[in-house]
Amino acid sequence: MRLPPLSYNVRSLFVRWSSTLLTVIGIGATVAVLSGVLALQQGFSRLYTEGGRADTAIFLRPGATNESESAIQREQAQILIKETPEIVRADDGQALAAGEIYLAVRQRKVDGGGETNVAIRGVQPPSFEIAGVEIVEGRRFELGNDEVVIGQSLVGRIQNCKLGGEIQLNTSPFKVVGIFRSAGPAGSEIWGDVDRLGPILERPNFSRVVARVQKPEDVAAIAARLDGDKRIPAKVISERAYLSAQTLFLSATLVVLGTFLAVVMGAAAVFSGMNTMLAALASRTSEIGVLLALGFRPFAIFLGFVFESLVLGLLGGVAGVLMALPLHGVRTGTTNFQTFTEVAFAFQITPPVLVVAVGFSMILGLVGGALPAFRAARMEPCEALRHR
Amino acid sequence: MRFPWLLVVLNIVGHPLRALLTLASLTVAFFLLCVLTSVLGGLEAGIKASANDRLVVQSAVSLFVALPQSYGGKIKTVDGVEEVVRWQWFGGYYQDPGNFFAQFAVDHDRLFDVYPEIKIDEAAATAFAQKRTACLVGKELARRYGFKPGDRLPLIGTIFARLDGQAWDLDVVGIYESTGANVDQNTVFFRYDYLDEVREAGLCGGPEGVGVYVLALEEGAVPEGVAARVDALFQNGPQVVNTTTEAEFQRQFVSMLGNVPVFLGSIGGGVMFAILLAVLNTMLMSARERTHDFGILKALGFQSGVVFALLLFESIGLCLVGGVAGITLALITAPVLGAGLSSILPNYAIAQETQLMALGLSGLIGVVAGVLPGLRAMQLEVVDALRAEV
Repeated sequence: MRLPPLSYNVRSLFVRWSSTLLTVIGIGATVAVLSGVLALQQGFSRLYTEGGRADTAIFLRPGATNESESAIQREQAQILIKETPEIVRADDGQALAAGEIYLAVRQRKVDGGGETNVAIRGVQPPSFEIAGVEIVEGRRFELGNDEVVIGQSLVGRIQNCKLGGEIQLNTSPFKVVGIFRSAGPAGSEIWGDVDRLGPILERPNFSRVVARVQKPEDVAAIAARLDGDKRIPAKVISERAYLSAQTLFLSATLVVLGTFLAVVMGAAAVFSGMNTMLAALASRTSEIGVLLALGFRPFAIFLGFVFESLVLGLLGGVAGVLMALPLHGVRTGTTNFQTFTEVAFAFQITPPVLVVAVGFSMILGLVGGALPAFRAARMEPCEALRHR
Repeated sequence: MRFPWLLVVLNIVGHPLRALLTLASLTVAFFLLCVLTSVLGGLEAGIKASANDRLVVQSAVSLFVALPQSYGGKIKTVDGVEEVVRWQWFGGYYQDPGNFFAQFAVDHDRLFDVYPEIKIDEAAATAFAQKRTACLVGKELARRYGFKPGDRLPLIGTIFARLDGQAWDLDVVGIYESTGANVDQNTVFFRYDYLDEVREAGLCGGPEGVGVYVLALEEGAVPEGVAARVDALFQNGPQVVNTTTEAEFQRQFVSMLGNVPVFLGSIGGGVMFAILLAVLNTMLMSARERTHDFGILKALGFQSGVVFALLLFESIGLCLVGGVAGITLALITAPVLGAGLSSILPNYAIAQETQLMALGLSGLIGVVAGVLPGLRAMQLEVVDALRAEV
């Protein structure tokens, strides 16, 4: 079976350029919305998944799903660290482990001055190495002093979050002496000495214990042992698993929202795309008659028109991605509802987003084009030729 | 000459498939607009319904830091304060951590004085006053899980975990209804004195203290003045407090959503833009195909303005019908969507203002989409128009 020249269908799109353009922009808007929502989801979940290591163990109270609702008594933390041989130790026997406290504190935003919840973490010196955070400006806080270091993402977003700034916690001011970089959510946190912050924030217990273990499989081994240990009420999870669990709720919400919007807006786009193709068909009835008279099979004509509408959809998809592309890298903040703290991240137009966006636009084209193409294929050659 | 109204209708009906497709996309677009606006409205409903004469005292440091028990008595003496109710977030779960709903321990003897919008029947009130383990369940929550008075409600504590690992057994004594959007119907209220008793006995973990104090003000008291006096009372510690109106307190949870309202707004804008292009496209097609008709109309002596108005009215008519259909669809689906969203967005409803806004916008889109084809048709020369292919 010979297909009609596909260039005929493509050129037809350009002959009716104004109507093509309107349809392309219409499909484009739909695709852009879908890409935007997905880019938000990607940015948020990447922040959490890329920062997590499989060989970092996180100890929480059994039953706690995140550190804001967890508590481990300090004596138990000591026993835990001492009696876990899998934890990496320096030559002098110092374990690469730390007890930390975690709390969402109220701070004012720079723009608008509204309040938001910022995560504050009381840490011990090994925390820096375990989390892989690196001071980029200033220095670390001195133990025992009312000093803190802040994540880079807070600078310019939260009031007083700059070198030399003062962060008020209850009745005590804390001085910002350093700024650190972190690929993960720690980039939106404030860090200080756990022994200073504990009493001020009324957190006598640790929220969690973190430790670097020798190999990723150790986490499961520790978990099995802790399960049967009545003295230490704690559970263990790898940092990677912990962080990706944090994104489940928001990711699921965004995927549901994106799907809902895509289906509803997609339906509207299909209807109007179908209209465009039907009008195109009506004005080209005699051309179809010529094609049929030349001996092209109806099914070949059907395929030709489906192809034309697929190209229309594809153009819409490209337009949509182009509309959404400026979002890439734009920083925004949202609340992690597991811990009630705000984290900053950037929209990410990743390859999966592109694939879904372009695939979706082609589906729109296909669905919108099928009926008109079917109509075209069923025309009687004589009547079509007679049509003016 | 009379305006040919019938032609407007005939032009729409004369091309049924195209009209239907355009109407379908209009319907979908305005349905979506109504849904998005109502989600935003639902978020704000709690703030709007909040009472002006109620204040909330919370820690100035963090939502998660409790206030000392001793604060209650001190706050009660502040000028302008009528009554004080303690609220403590319990944060437990029922059977599975995925079953999320709010539970608060409250002062059972004062809650209803401060919150007249919470309605319970006589029997429930009596039982709540007499039984230490009593709890009240919101109407929506009761519907969701089938709770009824007389049931036992076992809650696993996370913050206030029992040291023996068991659940807190509460007794459902009544179902409450709320007449204000500021108190949702998905909450469990139980007695603060019971929580306190178990904690005092050393049977559970959790912070000693009070999450927030809610104040009812005396008549005529100025809320800002009272708030400033309460804040001043504790400005040197041990816990610095932040006193706000109930509306401000609710707003902080909405503002946690960050840019979500902006996202929803821009999606709505995108939808409207796309639908404008779709209708414009339809109208241009419609006008192009009827060039010949316009020639005849003009030759018959109809003014150019009539030709313009024909297309304009056709466009407005299409859009209004589509808009009304979209609004209707949103209204029909509201109970289903509302039930589905009730746990995260209890106040989803298609407000009258939303309907009016959607209707107005549909008319506006009709005008904008009709003007360009209308102007084109107006400028046609009779001879050219008549010569145009049908």
